[in-house]
Amino acid sequence: MSSDNKPTIVYKKKEVRTAWLMMAPALIVLAVIAVYPILRTFYLSFHEMNLKRPQSGFPFIGFQNYMKIFSDARAGTDILFTVKFTVTTVLLEMVIGFAAALIMNRAFKGRGIVRAAILVPWAIPTSVSAMMWKFIYNDQYGMFNDILYRFGIIKAYKAWLSTASGSFMALVITDVWKTAPYMALLILAGLQMIPGELYESAKLDGANAIQRFWNVTLPLAKRSLLVALLFRTLDAFRVFDLISVLTGGANGTESIAVYSYKQLMTFLDFGYGSALAVLIFLIVFAISVVYMIFLKGDLVSE
Amino acid sequence: MKTSKRLLALSASAMMAMSAMVPSAVMAESVAEVSPEGRTVLTFAFDEGVGTPTEEAIALFNASQDEIFVQSYHLPQDANNLHDDFVNKMVAQDTSVDIMALDVVYIAEFASAGWVADLSDLYSEEELGAYLDGTVAGATVDGKLYAAPWFTNASALFYRTDVLEDLGITEVPTTFQGWIDVYEKLDKESGIDYAFCFQAAQSEALVCNWVEFLASYGASVLDEEGKPAVNSAEAVAATQAMADFIGKYAPEGTTTYAETESQQVFQEGKALTCRTWSGTWNTFNDEAQSDVAGKVGMTVLPVNAEGDTAHSCLGGLDLVVNTYIDDAQKEAAKTFIKWMTSEEEEKNFCLSSSQPPTVKAVYQDAEVLEAIPFYTDFYSIIENGKGRPSSANYAELSDAIQRNVHAALTGETAVEDALNALYDEASALQ
Amino acid sequence: MNAKRKRTVGWVAFYLFVVVFVLLLLLPFIWQFLTSVKPLKEIAEMPARWIPSKVHFDFYVNVFTKHPFARYLLNSFIVAMCSTLLSIAIGASAAYALSRLKFRGRKALLMIILSISMFPTIATLSPLYLILRNMKLLNTYAGLILPYIVFSLPFAIWLMTSFFSQLDHGYEEAAYLDGCTHFQTFTKIMLPLIRPATFSVGLLVFINCWNEYLYALTFMTKDSMRTVPVGIALFPSNYQLPWGDMAAASIVVTVPLILLVLIFQKNIVAGLTTGGVKG
Repeated sequence: MSSDNKPTIVYKKKEVRTAWLMMAPALIVLAVIAVYPILRTFYLSFHEMNLKRPQSGFPFIGFQNYMKIFSDARAGTDILFTVKFTVTTVLLEMVIGFAAALIMNRAFKGRGIVRAAILVPWAIPTSVSAMMWKFIYNDQYGMFNDILYRFGIIKAYKAWLSTASGSFMALVITDVWKTAPYMALLILAGLQMIPGELYESAKLDGANAIQRFWNVTLPLAKRSLLVALLFRTLDAFRVFDLISVLTGGANGTESIAVYSYKQLMTFLDFGYGSALAVLIFLIVFAISVVYMIFLKGDLVSE
Repeated sequence: MKTSKRLLALSASAMMAMSAMVPSAVMAESVAEVSPEGRTVLTFAFDEGVGTPTEEAIALFNASQDEIFVQSYHLPQDANNLHDDFVNKMVAQDTSVDIMALDVVYIAEFASAGWVADLSDLYSEEELGAYLDGTVAGATVDGKLYAAPWFTNASALFYRTDVLEDLGITEVPTTFQGWIDVYEKLDKESGIDYAFCFQAAQSEALVCNWVEFLASYGASVLDEEGKPAVNSAEAVAATQAMADFIGKYAPEGTTTYAETESQQVFQEGKALTCRTWSGTWNTFNDEAQSDVAGKVGMTVLPVNAEGDTAHSCLGGLDLVVNTYIDDAQKEAAKTFIKWMTSEEEEKNFCLSSSQPPTVKAVYQDAEVLEAIPFYTDFYSIIENGKGRPSSANYAELSDAIQRNVHAALTGETAVEDALNALYDEASALQ
Repeated sequence: MNAKRKRTVGWVAFYLFVVVFVLLLLLPFIWQFLTSVKPLKEIAEMPARWIPSKVHFDFYVNVFTKHPFARYLLNSFIVAMCSTLLSIAIGASAAYALSRLKFRGRKALLMIILSISMFPTIATLSPLYLILRNMKLLNTYAGLILPYIVFSLPFAIWLMTSFFSQLDHGYEEAAYLDGCTHFQTFTKIMLPLIRPATFSVGLLVFINCWNEYLYALTFMTKDSMRTVPVGIALFPSNYQLPWGDMAAASIVVTVPLILLVLIFQKNIVAGLTTGGVKG
């Protein structure tokens, strides 16, 4: 795990050749099916292309679509909301996911059942679970109201999805419920790779459970944790299905991906919609660069 | 060592499975394209909401002649899904679908994008006269007919006949205040918590409801010159009334309701009235689903002041022809569409789907009236129905209405501010 | 004795925590199950009725009779399974090269692969439709597996790269000394070592593909080729609340996945004891 940068790296010919051969299938598949759609999106983002106005001839307009984003208040609000949503859910999911992973990494009776149970939320298709939660938050006969009412937390049934704060809370709960298990599984995979001897020797050194967590588990799980966080952040920032089913973007819960989709598929403005898609890509890219800085020395260099 | 072997074996079997599937799938494709007995094959895309009756109609058509064979392509019921799926195909200039059942509000958009064929020669002037005026207007863009009206839809006010009877009220109220007066006379034991239920979730349903409220208050989205009039005094009053009703006379959750949610409230006997699409008649009177079966009446939407006319929002699906298919396919498609929208088939479809037909004469048909008695009253509703504002930029206009009016109804923004913002957005779209 | 008692208390607390945690997690699912066996009218009762007055399975019958749901399940399974196996098979060797072999441009490649998975899928929908149509792959399993690989392959590569680089270099050096080539080292030494992690990756990829909606809706237009999420979206009809059918369908969809995890439980445990720890 050390990251001593050697001044000169000598690449061995044979090793280089093997490396490319081993990567070839993956690179070919990605080149065939992924590169063209992405390049096309970039290309469109520099054109005026509203499908409802084919008579415009879809001319090249340089950065005008991008300039438009800056004057579009709605895009700004949506980005802010998306950031708020991402930070809230990813933080909660990390804490809960880590706890769940620690539980599952212990030998105890019934672990198999817990592991299966934890996967249930993740296993249901997002479109279905979002529908299901919409039913749960229903103002007339939803489970959410029923439970809170029975425990005396609320005095009367509430229309949770009719207010900004209620909608945000509903989205966060649903997302955390659905994806914390995913975090748990990723972190667990990392935890499983920590050699048991390390704990044994730490125990012999007289470290208590908390010390073992801070000094053994956390440093060694750091990489899996960061990778899990990275992927969750990427997903959360592009949140689409959940919002479009649960709130439809109402009450200030429109994410930037929902807006981009709207521009593309509803307003048929492929130029501006593509520019928004590229913007999402650039922001997400920037986020992952930040993660890479944290990961550096662990993963990218050797 | 075992693992790597197993992994290789697994991937090999995956490859084999894939290669085995590709040809079989390709074959399935070509089987579909070989027409039964050499007929021209048409693909007709429609949504699951009318799935079964449409299948029946197609089977009937396929049996009726030996030139054309129609196959179906089902899509989820969600109107957005339908629209987006068609858009994807048109962008790719796809010819896999020949005829599409398109929501009336998208006709102008598809026509201006040049995706649907001109159908102006489909009907003679006389034939066209047999259709409801509102539906023909909705299918016409810049004086050309781009779609054939298949079935329409209009909203109506459903109400509890038993409640009016118990109170000894013989005259059905026509104004909002009239209904509120009835509601105020009710005591707790009636089980009725709300005077009204309608739809105000940020969705197309909200646009319909709002347009109707505007009409009931004598306002409209566009003025006579086609300019936005969304912030007129009448429009503000209408929107304010709508906002005031929510939480007081209508469920607090109304701003989250689409049709099914609000219908549920009525079905459980918790509301005096419910504004929704006419076809819900069957659901409301189905004892398996509804607690108010047999106690449901249907009338025109309420107005603000006595003497005003209410205008129901018109919905429904039109049939359009993909412009990218070749001429022979287009001709076949027109034959099919003409058959589908003939008086006889409109009647059949009306009986099997309970969707309101577009041909006027069907509403007077004895057999239809026996099956759907409320059509006697309903005809005047649908005749007075209005389409939503027709515009090539309808999607943007609808989105602007949804966002701003919803913000006004939830109290996020003051009504006047919201409508002023809407006015600016609507003006920019002109 | 005291230490023993302390331990017992610890275990009780631990189990209590586990039970509460699992219950909270499963609550919506339990609700869903109860909904699926309730008579239609009781679904929307207020105050909510938890225990149905009588259990009935009409919704389950609906799921399989109103729609070719068994076919949807089969389609979903084939597509998700093939995408997963291909992503893992293609991804593992790429991940090994990217994490353990030295060559120029490694960092850049890794970043490019990651950025492919960062691209918003919504923007790639219509160009992919064009490609697949031109390749005549619409309505074929391959036509859905390929786009799924676009998002699952970079994900699999990245995770496995991370797991590979966590391994000690000693293993490889020993293998090289024994005269193994790089590829042999990969298949014989390294792959078995990351097996437990590979299983997790596979499971995540599988579920990702199993749940995908937008691509499946757009690229599979024939009813016989539809996958489960799109199939369920076909449930709502004009004038009926589909809650009962949806609840039954989501139970039907989830049960195989739970079984899958329970069956492979042994593999995970085996991986734990024979994997990275003792070599």
